[in-house]
Amino acid sequence: MQSLNTNKLLKSSLFTNFINNVIHNPSPEVQKNFMDVSIKIADTIRKICDEEKVIFKVPYNGREYWKYGKSLETCFVDGGVYSSFESSSAPFAIRAKSYIVKPNNPISNREKFEESIAFMGDLYDSKNNIYELSEDPYEDNQLLNKKKDAARIVFEIACIVKHLFEKRKFNYCLLHGPIQTPVMPFSGPEFPLFKDEIVKNILPFLNFKTKKDEKNLNAHFINVYLNSLNYLTKSKFPIFGIVERTKSTIYLRNLLFIAKQKNKIAANDYEKMISTINRYKINDGNLLELILSDGQALKPLEVEKQIPSKAWGEWDVQMNSFPKTFVGYLKTNSHQAPIRIETLNKPKNIYKDFEYILAMSKLLPNYGFPAGLDVVDKSAKIPSWLGKAAKGYYSKYYLDLAIGTKNNKNVNSALKMLQGGRVWNNRPKAGKISK
Amino acid sequence: MKKIIKLNQIKSTKKISDPWANIGTILGQTSINDYTFHLKKFKAKKGDIVAAEAKLPTGEGNIIDVVVWGRIMEIISSNDFLPNEAAKELTEGNINILDTILPLTKNDSVCTVKNLGYTRNDTNIKLSLLPLNYPVAPGGSVKYPASKDLEKLLNTDMNGRNPIFIGNLVARRDVDVHVSADNMVSRHVLVIGMTGSGKSVWVRRAVRELMVKQYPILIVDPHGDNLGIVQKAKKLFPEHDIKLFYPKISAPKNNKEVIFTLIEKLGNKLTEPQYEFLNWLLTNIEYETGVSLIQYISILIQRANTAAENKRNKTNKNSSGMSNTGASTMGVVSRSLRKVFRKLEEMDQSNTSNRKKYPHLKFEELPDPYSQPEKIIKKSQVSILYLKGYESLPSSTIVSILLESLFNHRSAGGKVIPPFFTVLEEAQNFIPSKSEGQDGYPSVSTIKKIATEGRKFGTGLMLVSQRPYRLDETVCAQMNSYIILRLKNERDQRFVKNTMENWDNEEAKQLPNFANGQGIVSGQITNIPLTVQIKFDDDLTNEDIGDENFISDVINWKDSDVTKKKREFSKKFDKVFDADKRKPN
Repeated sequence: MQSLNTNKLLKSSLFTNFINNVIHNPSPEVQKNFMDVSIKIADTIRKICDEEKVIFKVPYNGREYWKYGKSLETCFVDGGVYSSFESSSAPFAIRAKSYIVKPNNPISNREKFEESIAFMGDLYDSKNNIYELSEDPYEDNQLLNKKKDAARIVFEIACIVKHLFEKRKFNYCLLHGPIQTPVMPFSGPEFPLFKDEIVKNILPFLNFKTKKDEKNLNAHFINVYLNSLNYLTKSKFPIFGIVERTKSTIYLRNLLFIAKQKNKIAANDYEKMISTINRYKINDGNLLELILSDGQALKPLEVEKQIPSKAWGEWDVQMNSFPKTFVGYLKTNSHQAPIRIETLNKPKNIYKDFEYILAMSKLLPNYGFPAGLDVVDKSAKIPSWLGKAAKGYYSKYYLDLAIGTKNNKNVNSALKMLQGGRVWNNRPKAGKISK
Repeated sequence: MKKIIKLNQIKSTKKISDPWANIGTILGQTSINDYTFHLKKFKAKKGDIVAAEAKLPTGEGNIIDVVVWGRIMEIISSNDFLPNEAAKELTEGNINILDTILPLTKNDSVCTVKNLGYTRNDTNIKLSLLPLNYPVAPGGSVKYPASKDLEKLLNTDMNGRNPIFIGNLVARRDVDVHVSADNMVSRHVLVIGMTGSGKSVWVRRAVRELMVKQYPILIVDPHGDNLGIVQKAKKLFPEHDIKLFYPKISAPKNNKEVIFTLIEKLGNKLTEPQYEFLNWLLTNIEYETGVSLIQYISILIQRANTAAENKRNKTNKNSSGMSNTGASTMGVVSRSLRKVFRKLEEMDQSNTSNRKKYPHLKFEELPDPYSQPEKIIKKSQVSILYLKGYESLPSSTIVSILLESLFNHRSAGGKVIPPFFTVLEEAQNFIPSKSEGQDGYPSVSTIKKIATEGRKFGTGLMLVSQRPYRLDETVCAQMNSYIILRLKNERDQRFVKNTMENWDNEEAKQLPNFANGQGIVSGQITNIPLTVQIKFDDDLTNEDIGDENFISDVINWKDSDVTKKKREFSKKFDKVFDADKRKPN
C-alpha cells in the first residue's frame, strides 16, 4: 500500500472516510440483505399472483401479428415542454402532438403528425401567461416546476380530449405517461388557476362559464384535470397510458390489499409487508423484474390514484370523483423492467390489447417500449435549436429594454438576470490573498 | 410619366428564377464555398446543378438580386424516427415495415452544395458566371433551374470560342454541353480514366468535332485503339485524308544524342573504353537524315567489325584515334550493336505482323518529319501513327523526333504546316513520372517543351492515360483542361487531387462510380466544371477492330497442319520411349 504512495490521498478526510466505509462498513451486508428480502418478497408476491391468476402469457409472432395489426389505426400522444427558468421573463413553450398511423392505408394517407395543441408564451407575464397571477405573489423553482408539470399533464390529456371532441375514431389511443396522475402535489393554496381562455381553448367541451364563481375553481388544475379524465371515460376506443420507468408501488399495494380483502393474507401480515416494502424502497419495477419473464403480463387491477386525505386543501369531493384506473404490467423483453399499462375503462379485450402493445414494443427489441410512443416522443420534443433561438430572442429583447432606460442599474440587473443570478464562475478563486 | 417609370421598374425586376421550381430551403450555416439545404423529396439528385436566390452587395454599395449556382455534391437522407433496432427486428423477423406502425414519411434529405459562382437574377442581363464573394442567406429558397436556362449558362460566351458539342449533363440529360474548341487545341487537355472508362469515347468525340472544323490531327497510337475510326471516318468525311502511318526510326543529321541513347539503353552495358569506341564510331560515320536507324546501325556494326579485324591484323586503316582501343573492346561494342539491331528489327517485324492483321487498312511509312512535314500535318487530315510492337524507349524516341520536328516547323514561323492537335494515347509511355524513371526517354523533354510553349505556336496536346500517377507532374501541371473519367485506383485519385486546382474531396468520391463515358470536364474548355455523359459516336466505331474476343477465338480454334503432324509424331515417339527398357539411370 505504501508503495502506491497513498499517504497524500489519505490526508483528505473525505477520501479516508470513503475508503473506510467501503472497506469496513457493512455495505455489502446491506446489499446482500436487500437482495435476500427482495427475492423473498418476490417469491411471496408471485404466489399471490398465482393465487389471483393475474399472470398471463402474451403471444408474439411479429410477421403474423402485423398481418392483422396493419389494419389498426392508432393515435399516439405525447407532450413536449421547453422553458429556461433562469429569469423572470423566461419564455415557455408547450405542445402536445399526435402520431396517427394506419399501416395499410395508402402511403399518402398512412401516417399523420399533428400538433394538436401548442402554447408559446410566458408563465409570468401578466398579459401572456397560462395562469392567473393575482394570487401568485411569490415564486420558487419548486412551484414553478409544479406549474410546468401541471401544464404538460393537462395539455397531453387535452390533446386526447380534442380527438374525442372532434369525434375522431381510432382503434387505439396510447399516451406516453400515466393516464391519471395523483393531483395531491397541485392541491396547495398557492397553486394558481389557469386563465379562462386557456381552459376554453384546450377543453372546448367544458362549456366554460364566462361568469366567474367566487373562487373560479373551475379553472384550477384539479378541476380541469378531473373534467378531462371524466370526458376520456366516454371514449368508444381503448385509451392506454404507458409508463416506461416506474418507481410506484401501486400494483404491489393493491395486490396485497385485494388478497387481504379476500382474506387470503392476514391483516397483520399485510401491514408488515407494506412496512417492509416502504423501508426497503421496493417498487413495482424492480420487484416485477424478478417475477415476470419475457412476454408475461399482469392483469390490470382497479386502483384509486387519488388519496383525498393527503390533499392540502379542501379537495375531497373532486378527488373522490376521479375515475378509477386499471393498472397492469407487461414485460416486453428479457432485459428491461416491465412497462406499466394504465387505462380508465375496464379493458374489454385485455389479451388482444396487450398483444398489440407487445408487438409494438417488440419493434424496439432493446428499448422494449411501443415504437409509436417513441416516435411521438421524438416528434413532440421542442428542439433545442428552437428553444435556444427563442431564449436568445427574449434575452436580446429584455436587454434592449433595459438599455433603453439609460439607467446602468437596470442594465446591470438585466445582465445578471440573463446570466442566471449567482453562478459558479463568480465564486472567489482559492489560494490568492486579496490585497 | 409615373406610369412609364413603373413599367420600367417592372421590366427591370423580372427574375430569371421566377418560373423555376422551388426544391428546398437553405439550412443554418453557409459559406462562400458551400451550403446545405433541405430537399423536397425526389426533387433533385446528386450532381444536379441547382440555384439559390440570394442578394449580394456590390462595390458601389448597392444590393443586387443574384442566382448562386451550385452543384449537389452529396445527399444525406435520414429518418430520426426510425431507430436502428427497429430495422433489426424487421429484418430478423421478416416483417414488412409497411405492416407496422413505424413511420415512413419522415425521411429528411439534406444536400451539400458546392458553389460554382453567381449570375444576376434578371432576365434582361446576359447570364455570365462570376465568382461568389458573399454567402447565401440561411432560410433562402433553392430552385431547380429550367433546362434552357441552364444550357444558356453553360454555353454563355462559347460562340466566340468555337463551341463543340460533347454530350449532356449526367444529371440532366436534356441539357447539352459544349466546350471551347479554341481552348482545347491551344491549351492542352489531359484525359484520364481506367480501362473501359470511355477515353476512346472522348477521343472519338473530340476528333470528330475537330474534323468538322478541318483541323489537322495527329494521333499517336501505341495499341491501335484508333484504327477503328479509319474506315468509318473515311465514309463520313470523304473530303478528309485519314492517314495511317507506321514508324521509321530515323534521326536528324546532327542529333546523334538520340541514337546514342537508344543504343545505350537497348544494348549491353558498356565500360568507359567501350563507350569511347561507340562514340568514335558515331562521330566518324556520317548519318544522313531520313535514313532508317536500322540501316545506320548495320553500318556501325560493319565498321566496328572491320576495326576489330584491323586491330587483330595490326593494320590501322580507318581507325585513327583509336590506337589504344583493343580488338576485344571493339568486339564487345559490335555485339552490343548487334543486339540493338536485332531488337529494332524484331520490333519492326512485330509492327509489320500487327499491321497485317488489318489487310483492309492501308498503312504508309511515316514520312520524314524534317523534310516532309506537310505529308503528316495538313488541313483536313487525320494522321494516325501506329506504334504497336515497339517497346516504350524506341516509341519515345520516335515520338520525340516526330514532335520535335513538327514543333520546330511551327515555331520557326514559316508556313510549312498549319497549327495542329496531337492526341497522345498511353501518355505514360512518353512522359513517365520521375519515380518511374524517365532517364533516356527523349519524349519527356520534347513534350514538356510543347506543353509549355505550344500555346503560342498552335501545337495543342491531348494526353490520354489510364495511369495518371505514372505521368510526369510538370507536364500535367501545364494541362489547362481535364477530362476525368472513372478512376478506381487510389494513387490515381490522389494524383488528380494533387494536380488539379480547386479539386474537392466530394468530387473524388464520385470518380469510382462513373459509368462508361461519364466524367468530369473542367478547366478552360468549359465555363464551369461539369459532370458529363459524353456522346457516344457509334457511327465511328468499327466492330472488327475492337476488343479481342478470346473466348470465341478458342471456340473456333483449329490446330494448324504442322501442329497436328507434330502431335501425331509425338505419340509415336512416346510408344518408342515406353518400350525402351534401357533407360539411363
